Amino acid sequence: MAGVSDGEQGSAAGAHNGPFSRLALAQYATLLGMRWLVLSNTPRTLQGVFELSARGLGLLVYGTMGMGLSIALGSAANIFSAREEWTMLALVFWVALFIWQSVPVGLASFQTQFEMGTLLRFPVSFGSFFLLSLVVGVADISTILGVLCSIGIWMGIALARPDLALWALAVVGLFGIFNILLVRLILLWLDRWLARRRSRELVGAVIVLLLLSLQLLNPALQSDSHPRRQLQPRHFSVEPVNGEEKGIVAQTVLVAQPWFPPGLAAVVVQRASRGRANTAGTALAGLGLYVAAVAGLLGMRLKAEFRGESLGEAEAAGAESQRRYGMLLNGAGPIAAVMEKELRTMIRSMPLLYAMGAPLFMVIVLSSLLHNNAPARWREFDYALPGCLAYALMGVSQLLYNALGTDGTGVRLIFLSPTPVRTVMLAKNLFHGMAFGVVACAAWVMTSLRMGWPDDVMTAAALAWLMFALPANLAIGNVFSLVMPHRVDLGRLTRQRGSAASSLLSMFVQLLLLGVGGAVFLVCSMSGRLWLAVPVFLVLAAVASYAWLRVYDELDELAVANKDRLIDTLARLE
Amino acid sequence: MESAAIQTYGLTRRFGALTAVDDVTLTVSQGQFFGFLGPNGAGKSTTIKMLTGLLEPTTGSIEILGRRFWSGALELKGQIGVVPEGMALLGRLTASEYLHFVGRMYGLDRKTTSQRTEELLEFMDLAHEHKKLVTDFSHGMQKKLALAAAVIHAPKVLFLDEPFEGVDAIAAGMLKALLQGMIQRGATIFLTTHVLEIVERLCSHVAIIHCGKLVANGSIEDLRAGVASRLPGEEGSRTLTLEEIFLSTVGADSGGVAQELSWLA
Repeated sequence: MAGVSDGEQGSAAGAHNGPFSRLALAQYATLLGMRWLVLSNTPRTLQGVFELSARGLGLLVYGTMGMGLSIALGSAANIFSAREEWTMLALVFWVALFIWQSVPVGLASFQTQFEMGTLLRFPVSFGSFFLLSLVVGVADISTILGVLCSIGIWMGIALARPDLALWALAVVGLFGIFNILLVRLILLWLDRWLARRRSRELVGAVIVLLLLSLQLLNPALQSDSHPRRQLQPRHFSVEPVNGEEKGIVAQTVLVAQPWFPPGLAAVVVQRASRGRANTAGTALAGLGLYVAAVAGLLGMRLKAEFRGESLGEAEAAGAESQRRYGMLLNGAGPIAAVMEKELRTMIRSMPLLYAMGAPLFMVIVLSSLLHNNAPARWREFDYALPGCLAYALMGVSQLLYNALGTDGTGVRLIFLSPTPVRTVMLAKNLFHGMAFGVVACAAWVMTSLRMGWPDDVMTAAALAWLMFALPANLAIGNVFSLVMPHRVDLGRLTRQRGSAASSLLSMFVQLLLLGVGGAVFLVCSMSGRLWLAVPVFLVLAAVASYAWLRVYDELDELAVANKDRLIDTLARLE
Repeated sequence: MESAAIQTYGLTRRFGALTAVDDVTLTVSQGQFFGFLGPNGAGKSTTIKMLTGLLEPTTGSIEILGRRFWSGALELKGQIGVVPEGMALLGRLTASEYLHFVGRMYGLDRKTTSQRTEELLEFMDLAHEHKKLVTDFSHGMQKKLALAAAVIHAPKVLFLDEPFEGVDAIAAGMLKALLQGMIQRGATIFLTTHVLEIVERLCSHVAIIHCGKLVANGSIEDLRAGVASRLPGEEGSRTLTLEEIFLSTVGADSGGVAQELSWLA
């Protein structure tokens, strides 16, 4: 570490190595310098320039999104503060909390993730490790959005009630720290928990149960026409509260929510507005307690990582099934071997299972939203099937566009073995196509259950669109997989090192394919000849299949041309 | 006349301004246990990557078993086995599943793959670890598995990049026996390692690369005689170890540096 290599200080490192010691400060400076070097070295290659541009664009997009949210939440906070509707102000804080916590699970970070474990070889104290783990990833999407939302809320309150500006600043500051700590806590525990096979199986079962539950519960709870609700209208109701009739659930939420951080934040502002500084301070201290509790839990998790915990399956190894798998594919050749390997890898990897399962979950949510909340004319939404199939395809596209990402050091074997790269890619395409087939069938069944069976012409058109979109995605995905690969860490769900350029381009391709599909559907539907979409899509499918074949022919040459990058990116020694 | 197992002509690899391997021409005969030595950064791994198709040479050519070798020479790839630097493992498979996968990638039928997998796991003392995923193996176990994967298709030419790194003494002895058995059955082995004692014991021929250039090539006896002839009087008359030959050839002085770091305990 810079500036601390003299013998005396070096030997004293272990004794005086608190989070703010000279050594720790020098380490922070070195780490910042290293991050800067990584950033400044990125544009040395063409791909690096592209990556950096994509990240810049991502920053701009999310920054703009954050500004929009900030203005919306700020306006809401302003109105509710001016009208002294403090329960509604709490709702604003709840929305901010939801945005802050939900974004990181759904999105890959657009910055290069730094593996904190690499710091453990240095004389880094736990305090420094804790601080660094907070600071290093602070510029991620969720923090940018969350901070912008918090600033908006603060400005909204301060503009409405200048006398509350300081209280609001303290509240928003503590609320921000709470969120930064909480999001790390959730991600770290999620990674730890899902690293175990049994946990993954449990999550898999919960997802299946959740999907089934949504099918059964959603109509019961939300549909106004449900017989149970018609027969027993007061079952969920209590006596009027404040002149309004509120449900038991709503009343419970109203009573309980002030005890949680967003509610406490609003309570502080509410009490301060009435000049009750003491009780406002007490509520602020309550918020501080939440911060301390979350920091403590985060500390427990980081302490384990600090002690060199590996997120492997070592602990679960004893419980690993002793059975020899009987579901080996019966072909002996490389195609069967690769497909079998892909299947084994998928069922042992949470990121891949998540990639497969998340679209299904969203299909349920989307179809339920359409069914329950959309205007009546939309409840029999004709385009539900193509819409849900398109969403499911978008969901699995990360597998198609980075087909080699899960191979890691095993990518060398592809180049060492006598099996041509295109054969390997064909096997992967077949496997991913089959995997998507399963997801698509499930999406179809779920959509049909929620929205009703689609008419035959729509079904045929949707299938024809898939016959166009799938080979087109596979063809472009094969090129992306060889030209812009990124390593997928199969041991963790979060903190992946994604390629911003690949993500952005794949999103662009997806939008293009969806746009083509949407345009054909629209034109054919408006002309009253929806059946015409089928032959149009079939022609496009023939073109896409031809394109896939052409790409397939070129895959070996493309792989050789990109061999250095593939091996360097995927098989890099960490 | 029997062709060479490995033959390179003017093999060169440049990375921008850096020439990692510079005009290397060497011949490895069939059935030879060939040691390829060099200090860190000399170009050993770059050479082995080019010889196995993991890296394209900037200029020069390679022949394996008498035929031109390039990354698309698939039939030839079926006759070589490799333990590359950093290995080529798939962490989410068990050892048995990984060997099955590799065997089939090399075109073996299922029955042969299963039989060899079982035998190799027994031989490598990994059979009892069939429940563990490769990612949870120790480094030594991963090395043993990588070697098992490299030989499952009975290659005629075997490239080994630091195969003994992290392997315990018992396993190292076992691996040496395996490799010597292969040599006796006519295979050719191209080995890079920093453990000179292993090279001295196993290899009949050695080449030394330094700063990308081949600075010595021949049988150990030839190299010993060459170095001894340059030493004065009695120094040259005693039997030199491979370490002394190596240090003398690359011009390193092991004593001076340690004396300069006086602050070390």
